[in-house]
Amino acid sequence: MAKLALKIFFAFILLVPAQAVIFNHLALFNVAVPIVFIYLIIMLPVTLGTNISTTIGFLAGITLDIFCDTAGVNALAATVLAFARKPVFHLYVSIDDDLAGRSPSARSMGHASFMKYLVTMVLAYCAMVFTVEAFQFFNFRLLVLRILASTVYSFILLYALDCATARNRDTA
Amino acid sequence: MNELFGFIVRHSKWLVFAFFVTISCTLLFNDDPYRRHVFMTSAGRMAATVYKGANNVTSYFDLREINGDLNRRNAELQAEIVRMQETIDRLREQNFTDTLAIDSGVRHFDFIVAHVINNSISHPFNYLTINKGSSDGIKPELGVIDRNGVVGIVSTTGAHSARVISLLNPHFRLSCKIKRSDYFGSLVWDGANPSEALLEELPRHTVFEPGDTIVTSGYSAVFPSGLPVGVIIGADTDRNQNFFTLRVRLLADFTTLGNVQVVINNQAEEIRALSAGEENDSKKKPFGN
Repeated sequence: MAKLALKIFFAFILLVPAQAVIFNHLALFNVAVPIVFIYLIIMLPVTLGTNISTTIGFLAGITLDIFCDTAGVNALAATVLAFARKPVFHLYVSIDDDLAGRSPSARSMGHASFMKYLVTMVLAYCAMVFTVEAFQFFNFRLLVLRILASTVYSFILLYALDCATARNRDTA
Repeated sequence: MNELFGFIVRHSKWLVFAFFVTISCTLLFNDDPYRRHVFMTSAGRMAATVYKGANNVTSYFDLREINGDLNRRNAELQAEIVRMQETIDRLREQNFTDTLAIDSGVRHFDFIVAHVINNSISHPFNYLTINKGSSDGIKPELGVIDRNGVVGIVSTTGAHSARVISLLNPHFRLSCKIKRSDYFGSLVWDGANPSEALLEELPRHTVFEPGDTIVTSGYSAVFPSGLPVGVIIGADTDRNQNFFTLRVRLLADFTTLGNVQVVINNQAEEIRALSAGEENDSKKKPFGN
């Protein structure tokens, strides 16, 4: 438990500032924004209580909002994402006995299931963030383009991140 | 009582969820950028420290381009100084009996140089953070410009950093005029392209050519008049009956903001007091009622 708390803490202080300082500035054509900090929510073990995961999601979202002056946009989306994490996971994996205490990853779930889980989570997050942001100027074509492009971009980076951390876990 | 506790425990995940969603929505719909505590913005201590650290590395990236712009601007100013010197000399010759020096009096504007430590262009409401704050004399509602043109207006200040509402933010409307013809309107970003904005509320009979320069009008206490803002691209398609909208290419390059200057208007208080007086006058009842 202490190991898990430490892991979440380090992921938090690495991923949230990295999102603000690095990834937000790697936007392609001002349309595709890579959203990488949600790996913090994606990697939470399925057996972790919903109350704790929702709190972690909210804290990560509001910290990013403070960094980016987006006032509640990320807090709302990250809260909903962390809350919906377990149901989304069970769409693709029915039994979680084998996964007790383990983080969802390509290794623990298998590549196909993990990819589906990852795409659903990323798409849900991008859809929420960009739709809330689009309240001011509603341009449907731009909104859909933003959601899809950002989903693809984020998916690639997150999958790479998952593979990279998995290798570390093996060597450790 | 036990039933109540039982209910709370059973539904705790929904209650926690609803609690966080309520906080998020409160933040989301309370969108006045001036009424936010500094801790909740990128000018707060936590965010500013991280951004300053990252900026120590990234501030070197665009130096070549910035240097080119500075050289160009320097040459323009040099030419301007020579021209003004000639004008002053001519005026002195004309009024050599006049004892009052031409450039006496209180300086109207002062400038504080600051560095942009965080900047966004991809959100619908963009902000930037600068590395000077209230202890350097920065106050809310001061204008911010860079070497090319207008950048934004200060909204919240911390001790050593401040958050600026970018020109790429619909909360910020800038009073501008067409340099050649003096028709004035209001410049606002339309959320699409970070290098273009709209000049709205122009009278229908406005005379313009694509390529004309847009400058600040100087009607507010924030910016001096005549600061370059953008260049006209053409008429925007959506026009309505009484007013006219132009599409403008912005001169400030928001993708490579580095050093900026904060404009301090030494007569701002005086101007604000005057306009407050006008508002009070207009609220008074007309005579005879």
